[in-house]
Amino acid sequence: MTKEEAPGATEEEQQAQSKKGLKKQQKEAEKAAKKAEKQAKLAADQQSTEEDDFAKDRYGVSAMVQSQHKLDRVLVRVQDLTPAKADQLIWLRARVHTSRAKGKQCFLVLRQQQFNLQALVAVGDRASKQMVKFAANITKESIVDVEAFVRTVEQKIESCSQQDVELHIERIFVVSQAEPRLPLQLEDAARPDGEGEEEGRATVNQDTKLDNRVIDLRTTTSQAIFRLQSGVCQLFRDTLTEKGFVEIQTPKIISAASEGGANVFTVSYFKTSAYLAQSPQLYKQMCICGDFDKVFCVGPVFRAEDSNTHRHLTEFVGLDIEMSFNYHYHEVIDSITDTMVQIFKGLRDNFQTEIQTVNKQFPSEPFKFLEPTLRLEYTEAVAMLHEAGVEMGDEEDLSTPNEKLLGRLVKEKYDTDFYVLDKYPLAVRPFYTMPDPNNPKYSNSYDMFMRGEEILSGAQRVHDAQLLTDRAKHHQIDLEKIKAYIDSFRYGAPPHGGGGIGLERVCMLYLGLHNIRQTSMFPRDPKRLTP
Amino acid sequence: MPMYQVKPVSGSHMKTDLPTCMYALPNVHALQNGEVEPAVKALEARQDEIMRKLYELKAAVEGLAKTVTTPDADLDLTVSSSLSSQSPTSTTFRGITDLDTLLGKDLGALRDIVINANPAQPPLTLLVLHSVLCQRYRVLSSVHVHSSASSVPPQLLSCLGPRHPDSYARQMFQLGFTLIWKDVPKLQMKFRVQNMCPIEGEANVARFLFKLLSPYPSDPAVATLVDSWVDTAFFQLAEGSAKERATVLRALNAALGRSPWLAGPEFSLADIACYCCLLQSASVSSAPTNVERWIKACENLGHFGPAKLHLK
Repeated sequence: MTKEEAPGATEEEQQAQSKKGLKKQQKEAEKAAKKAEKQAKLAADQQSTEEDDFAKDRYGVSAMVQSQHKLDRVLVRVQDLTPAKADQLIWLRARVHTSRAKGKQCFLVLRQQQFNLQALVAVGDRASKQMVKFAANITKESIVDVEAFVRTVEQKIESCSQQDVELHIERIFVVSQAEPRLPLQLEDAARPDGEGEEEGRATVNQDTKLDNRVIDLRTTTSQAIFRLQSGVCQLFRDTLTEKGFVEIQTPKIISAASEGGANVFTVSYFKTSAYLAQSPQLYKQMCICGDFDKVFCVGPVFRAEDSNTHRHLTEFVGLDIEMSFNYHYHEVIDSITDTMVQIFKGLRDNFQTEIQTVNKQFPSEPFKFLEPTLRLEYTEAVAMLHEAGVEMGDEEDLSTPNEKLLGRLVKEKYDTDFYVLDKYPLAVRPFYTMPDPNNPKYSNSYDMFMRGEEILSGAQRVHDAQLLTDRAKHHQIDLEKIKAYIDSFRYGAPPHGGGGIGLERVCMLYLGLHNIRQTSMFPRDPKRLTP
Repeated sequence: MPMYQVKPVSGSHMKTDLPTCMYALPNVHALQNGEVEPAVKALEARQDEIMRKLYELKAAVEGLAKTVTTPDADLDLTVSSSLSSQSPTSTTFRGITDLDTLLGKDLGALRDIVINANPAQPPLTLLVLHSVLCQRYRVLSSVHVHSSASSVPPQLLSCLGPRHPDSYARQMFQLGFTLIWKDVPKLQMKFRVQNMCPIEGEANVARFLFKLLSPYPSDPAVATLVDSWVDTAFFQLAEGSAKERATVLRALNAALGRSPWLAGPEFSLADIACYCCLLQSASVSSAPTNVERWIKACENLGHFGPAKLHLK
């Protein structure tokens, strides 16, 4: 029974299979026919479009710019496109921020640095269907040249910086094509903290941003941060130059560590070794001895501290000041604080757009300061902390949490984010700090704080070779190593003082950001050496 | 005066057997039941008398000094003394005030009073009180401009007078007076941020500062009178309509007809507040006679220089 049935079944199966196979074949044939038909149609279409694409020379990928031609074409900046330019025909070079095709229209958002505006390609007597399709297919971040009419819009375009106008594109050429896949999306990188989580959208973490710094730098926030940073440098230079300071350049490869021995980078220097400068301290002081009177210096500073915190970098830009004074080191404090206030004022008055832009992603309170700057003494600060219930010794250094708490207390009472703390205990300062004449426990040294974090540390320096030797001995420093430094004070040295500011820290704290890597273009820390 | 009197619950002549293992101490309540030690009382009386004489002497000398330095000063003492039997000798403030008892224990740091004021409305009373404070204490005064305030006139930057020559050493001062020109809707004082809320309103700050100079009158009626004059000055004289101001002027005139100063024989905060607000409301020209005389008397005290300087 089973034997008979089995072949019968197989036969049936075979029959069924062949039936199925037939059907399959039939279907495939149908499919192929359809495909062929479609291809033929497409080809015909293409042919026909190629034939009647009247706008063929109005779009495309232009040849690589190898400087063959020097066109007399004027490229307008995006930020200049206002209703005043309405109905003009202009040329523009910008990046494609986003594109969105919708039937016979294609909307593009064109971006130039922190400014963007909406552009539109629509099928009509100037643009063909193919042109719209081409525009829609331009990859994000590609650079395009666009000829377009500026038109005012009835309703404000909320998503763009130029809200009152849009562009009606006449011609569009791709100058540089971006790869279709970006390692991160600009929208995601520029999204305010917390907002992405609510909407279930992606956010980009700090490390990914830094790994793809070039793209991250294109975000409006980054653009604004580094424009403001440049402003800080500029204002620093301008203010000091006006005060009669001289800008100096100092070597960064030095033979001896200036501040303690441990945290310096050693580099091999032919047959011996050298160090990377922790601060231009010694050279600034030597310039004072060389009768330069008032000097400043903007340049890289290296710290080999293995600390991975939100405010430490291994290489940063130091803004250093050193000046001789007449009778009291407060002349130096006044000069430095005034410079800082000028910087804050300059930023407040000239960089309001940038500040607002950064605030959109990283909201913070506006920076507040007093003029003249508030100066408190160390004992006062200790008293304030005591009153707030902190237990600390009179000659103890301020710990970071105490610094922050003090910052809050000062802000509460005086409503300022910037203040000077004067008269630090001598024991916690470097050997070249001048002791206080009235109380040998204290010193003529000061720190400056922004939003409760230290940005500048300075002091009156010892300009007397003998006292300097004594102080160095007291700190158990090898006199042989700093002989050249001490010797420079033997031949008459004016009383002087100064301090050094970290540019990145100033920017970070002014904008109320939380990580110094945001204000360093290519940050260096113990774990990051690239890009 | 005892509020309740209770009859003794037990007989007062009860004899108790005290154990002998304890020390016997003299009764510490004995003095309260009876009188204060007469010797102490006499000593106190003597001291009071000496102090009184000293103040009179000081006031007399100051009065003399004024007649020498200011030409029309004789108006002050002569006219007002004819008004009342008591001579208003106290041009300086009475009472020994000690910052430690007033402001709590010394923490080894400067006691800094921070005042946030709007440059559109310079607080004249406080400027006056500041200059008086400077005569009494070593005051470190500093003027700052907050980043929220735009364009502060230069005379406001120097309104607390020239910088103290020792201002580089903050520890040498008893009191800090930090005036910050800031965009605030209402004048504000911050002193001890840990256990004091910010004090709002020029009148309240003035009361606080005045207490550093002399204690308020111990008589509650007079103290309330002073307070009510201060309120009148700031709410009706400085901010009120012309009609209200006229009413206040009449009230001032009546009060000054009865006594040399607003709150009686002693110069007080009431006078400072009313004078400054009167000056600010520019109704000095239409002042009735008693008020006019009082204005002259105020001016002769020499405290109001800083306020007049900033009236423009």
